[in-house]
Amino acid sequence: MDFLWILILLGYTICVTQSLISLTSSRPMLPRVALASLMVAFGSQTVWLLLRGLQTGRFPVAGTQEMCAFLSWGLVISYLIAARWYRADALKAFIFPIILVLSTVAAIAPVTPVTTLGIESPFQSILFPVHAGLILLAYCAFFIAFGAGLMYMIQERELRHKRLGRVFYRLPSLETCDAISFRTTAIGFVLLTLGIAAGIIWLHAQDPEGRYFKGEPDEIFAVFSWLVYLFMIQSRINARWGGRTAALASVISFMLVVCSLVGLRYFGTLHTFG
Amino acid sequence: MNIVLIGISHKTAPLEMRERVAFSDDRMTDALSTLVDQENIDEGLILSTCNRVELLASSPDGSERGIDLLTEFLCGFHGLPRQSLKGHLYGLAGDRAVHHVFRVASSLDSMVVGESQILGQFKDAYQHALRAGTVGRVLSQVAHKAISVAKRVRTETAVSQKPVSISSVAVELACKVFGDLSDNSVMLVGAGDMGELTAKNLMEAGAGKLIVTNRTAGRAEQIAKQYGGGAINFEAFYDVLPSADIVICSTGAPEYVIKTAEAKKSLKTRRRGPLLFIDISVPRNIDPTIANLDDVFLFDVDDFQAIVDMNLRERESEARSAEAIVEAEVHQFIRHLRSLDIGPDIVEVKQLLSTMAMSEFNRNRKRIGVLTPEQEAAIQNVLIPALVNKLSHPVIVHLKTAARNGDTSAVLAELRKMLRID
Repeated sequence: MDFLWILILLGYTICVTQSLISLTSSRPMLPRVALASLMVAFGSQTVWLLLRGLQTGRFPVAGTQEMCAFLSWGLVISYLIAARWYRADALKAFIFPIILVLSTVAAIAPVTPVTTLGIESPFQSILFPVHAGLILLAYCAFFIAFGAGLMYMIQERELRHKRLGRVFYRLPSLETCDAISFRTTAIGFVLLTLGIAAGIIWLHAQDPEGRYFKGEPDEIFAVFSWLVYLFMIQSRINARWGGRTAALASVISFMLVVCSLVGLRYFGTLHTFG
Repeated sequence: MNIVLIGISHKTAPLEMRERVAFSDDRMTDALSTLVDQENIDEGLILSTCNRVELLASSPDGSERGIDLLTEFLCGFHGLPRQSLKGHLYGLAGDRAVHHVFRVASSLDSMVVGESQILGQFKDAYQHALRAGTVGRVLSQVAHKAISVAKRVRTETAVSQKPVSISSVAVELACKVFGDLSDNSVMLVGAGDMGELTAKNLMEAGAGKLIVTNRTAGRAEQIAKQYGGGAINFEAFYDVLPSADIVICSTGAPEYVIKTAEAKKSLKTRRRGPLLFIDISVPRNIDPTIANLDDVFLFDVDDFQAIVDMNLRERESEARSAEAIVEAEVHQFIRHLRSLDIGPDIVEVKQLLSTMAMSEFNRNRKRIGVLTPEQEAAIQNVLIPALVNKLSHPVIVHLKTAARNGDTSAVLAELRKMLRID
């Protein structure tokens, strides 16, 4: 398994370097090398997740290590879809560093003990991947929205100050950044809603008193992030915000959510495993 | 074989001079055939644009004589005294001529370095000569290589990447803000030339709609009609502003035509999304404080000029790497051309060896004894040619190396001595 992590980290490091150099140079550098390293890293990560799933006999999204590995894996897919749909290759310079950080955390995090997580009935064993998987995929979408928001802000700034550097010419158009940011936020919100719903049903099934909400920090966090994104989407649809405010909002709300998630993991409890 | 070139360009002569030696399209075929009809001119190609006239030819004569012949032709064809072109005309031969052709096709010798028209003009000139039947083995190769070098320069360097005129910078900015322009409408305020040109370029870049307004309604309608747009009353400007995405202002008015307070009020009903104001009037016609509004971007003439200057500087620095590409390609091409020149020499060497082998065979025929006709044919048609090929191979390799380095005659003389001929 260690060998896979070396491949993963090496591959993503090459991708990050290449994407950052390409962003600031007049021509894309070594696109084939980058694509090959991405394929190797992504392939290795897929193999790792599969092996981990077989080893534990459950969907590999429990604990810091598996969550980060799954997030970075999902993020590669999300990036590929977004970049292809919008022909926004420059997005990789903003997404690959996140993928590398997540993979590094996964590589050095302690291995999640093989527990049953209270998965006793077949009903729960379906609900677990649905709940965790959907929420993590929602985060992937929010990551992309964050990257697109950053691209929007950089570009908007350069246009306002009329200083059009190399980065400016590499980024997709303002409207494209705006569209990516909005669409991915909306998709992420739907996934998050479904994931939370699955979590509530699971909680209800597991709780001896049949409660839907226990008021634990992780539940409060879920409601909090759901409300943040609800507010954001609502403001966007009502055209209350201009492009810059919307981009800023997607960056800030994402940072808010990530910070509280990290805080929860280390100061509170995000479920009691891992 | 000698490649020779004479030319006159924006760098060596003023427009009045270039006009006098230009070749119009309808006289081109005539000119090309007259050129190759001359003794000692084998192939000819003429490139005639508003910035340059270049005559390229291949001639069996020495380079000076070749250049002389071309000059004579140019003066004769246009009925000009030779003296009048002195100091304006340049003559090049051999690898320097090839170098010049590659640079011209790659737009490194253009007035605006990296402009894309010249390659098209060069291709046309080659097609013209091809149809007139005045290019052959040598010039075809020069032209093909020049085109491929130009393409390489374009893809491997950023020499023609960024726009260097105000209207094209405006189009690029619009594309950077809106992406595909098909959903966006352009509003042209005023009928200044630069404004009209910018609107035209935007429409050509795929903008969805054009609205024109001008103090003189007739002129607005005229422009609108030309580019398939609509005209509106000058007074109704603020009512229509919310539907525009790109506003170009180019009037002769001495004061602000578009004011911030009114624009702000009018934009309240606008759907969300960026709005680009382009002010190409001097004095300015758009209140600069309009840029403080949400999602509004404003560029004036000075902003555009600053971008143009920056792009020009970048083209210049990119031109240096382009020159290196051209240099390397010329070197390689000349080597290739020289190795082609040894074709007749190879035939000669093979002939020599073949004759020797055949005469030896005939001399010793009796000693070989009885052979069936099939065996005899096999010796003559298979064995001897195989031997000749085998024996001549090192000689040919040697010849090719000599050719790449310059001259084959010394090697050939050596060979003759070795084989005791002449």
